Amino acid sequence: MPRVTFVYADGRKTDADAHVGESILALAWRINAGIEGDCEGAMACSTCHVILDDAAFDALPAPSEEEDSILDLAPGATETSRLGCQIVITAEMDGLQIHLPANAPSLI
Amino acid sequence: MTATTDTIYLDYQATTPMDARVLDAMLRYLTSSFGNPHSTQHVFGQDAEAAVEAARSEVAALIGADRREIIFTSGATEANNLAIIGAGRFRQRMGDGVARVLTFATEHKCVLASAAALADEGFEVDVLPVQPDGLIDLALLEEKLRTPTTLVSLMAVNNEIGTIQPIAEAARLTRAACTLLHVDAAQATGKIPLDVSASDIDLLSISAHKMYGPKGIGALYIRRRPRVRVLPLIHGGGQERGFRSGTLPAPLCVGFGKAAALAKAEMAEEATRIAGLRSRFLETLDAAGTSYTINGTMEHRVPGNLSIAFDGAGALALINAAPGVAFSTGSACSSASVEPSYVLKALGLVPEIASRSIRIAFGRQTTEHEAVTAASVLAQAAKAVAQINAAAE
Repeated sequence: MPRVTFVYADGRKTDADAHVGESILALAWRINAGIEGDCEGAMACSTCHVILDDAAFDALPAPSEEEDSILDLAPGATETSRLGCQIVITAEMDGLQIHLPANAPSLI
Repeated sequence: MTATTDTIYLDYQATTPMDARVLDAMLRYLTSSFGNPHSTQHVFGQDAEAAVEAARSEVAALIGADRREIIFTSGATEANNLAIIGAGRFRQRMGDGVARVLTFATEHKCVLASAAALADEGFEVDVLPVQPDGLIDLALLEEKLRTPTTLVSLMAVNNEIGTIQPIAEAARLTRAACTLLHVDAAQATGKIPLDVSASDIDLLSISAHKMYGPKGIGALYIRRRPRVRVLPLIHGGGQERGFRSGTLPAPLCVGFGKAAALAKAEMAEEATRIAGLRSRFLETLDAAGTSYTINGTMEHRVPGNLSIAFDGAGALALINAAPGVAFSTGSACSSASVEPSYVLKALGLVPEIASRSIRIAFGRQTTEHEAVTAASVLAQAAKAVAQINAAAE
């Protein structure tokens, strides 16, 4: 079971035991990590915006055009931003750090 | 002073007259189909929105882009500002903090000014020299790109000397260096083929009024694959996917789209015809025994442009001596200045030659008769001015 860490903008951290095959959004909901996910993974909002480290971002397949389009609208999007709903946990993600953007307001 | 029908217009790089077919396409959107293209809850808005989106597709097709990669702006100046400042700030604030921009001494003022604005924010800005023929030095660019750089801004075609820069080669260098390439294509679109899908151009600015479209509209191409992100300069209702808020001027968008479609269909034939006009112009000067030099490369040059210095005749005196021909001493934005053009200085021309240089630009509505007549008028005027100058010495 890979262990990942949610890192909040104020520096607080929450460790979580993730299930292989669930999305970061599903994990965040399950452990109440504080990610909204208003559209429930339909790629219609950017409220599950997360920021990865360079190495973790590069290790993932590139985001789809649809995901990139939603990320264009995400406040504080960075070069390594992703939507949590689009990242599926794998065993190799043990130790992954998932950064949450500061004060990301819901767009809906 | 009013231009008469006898005045020959040879300043197509300053602006172009709107093509009558463009006006025809626009008229309906100024009167009966006046809807706000963002008011999509009723048929007026839907009608305008459909027209704007069709126009976006036409503009995209002209440069080989996807329509979702086209952001409408007020013109190329705004597009250049958004590209350079927007992309510069994005990487500095949202990325790895790199804050370095490269551009060239012969770029348009709005590119140099946008780079200077970033310098005020702490960016390192390096304005690279060009070669005496106006072309950039690719080896120098490659060397400069060894330092991590956010963006290179390079114009496709120069607005004074018509030089066509090696965009594809520069794009290979920038892509290899993980640097964005912004291309100011205001003087290039509709005149030379441009294909953003075939080259690694990340951002590209277009102006409608330089290609027989209406004034007051332009566009910025922003690549989607791989994604290029920019921070907006204008905030508001989130139009244009948040990159550029503000209600779109539907009639101008429609005119821009029509101008793009016409350019795509007629570009090749028109380039040949306009190159012929320039040849006839030069032949007429030669036949009159006029001595002149041409600034910049003739080989890598758009067909409509000449930057030319007549022996013994200052540019301002020549303008006064040839009121029947409308041309300029340089770019429109700097022709009010008495300083010799910074573009010509960048070629290494001494101020004396620069002060004798004029810009001639032929276009879609120029006739062969006009090209020949203008050359005769200028040949005579140059001779007269040179004689007066010689007598005064």
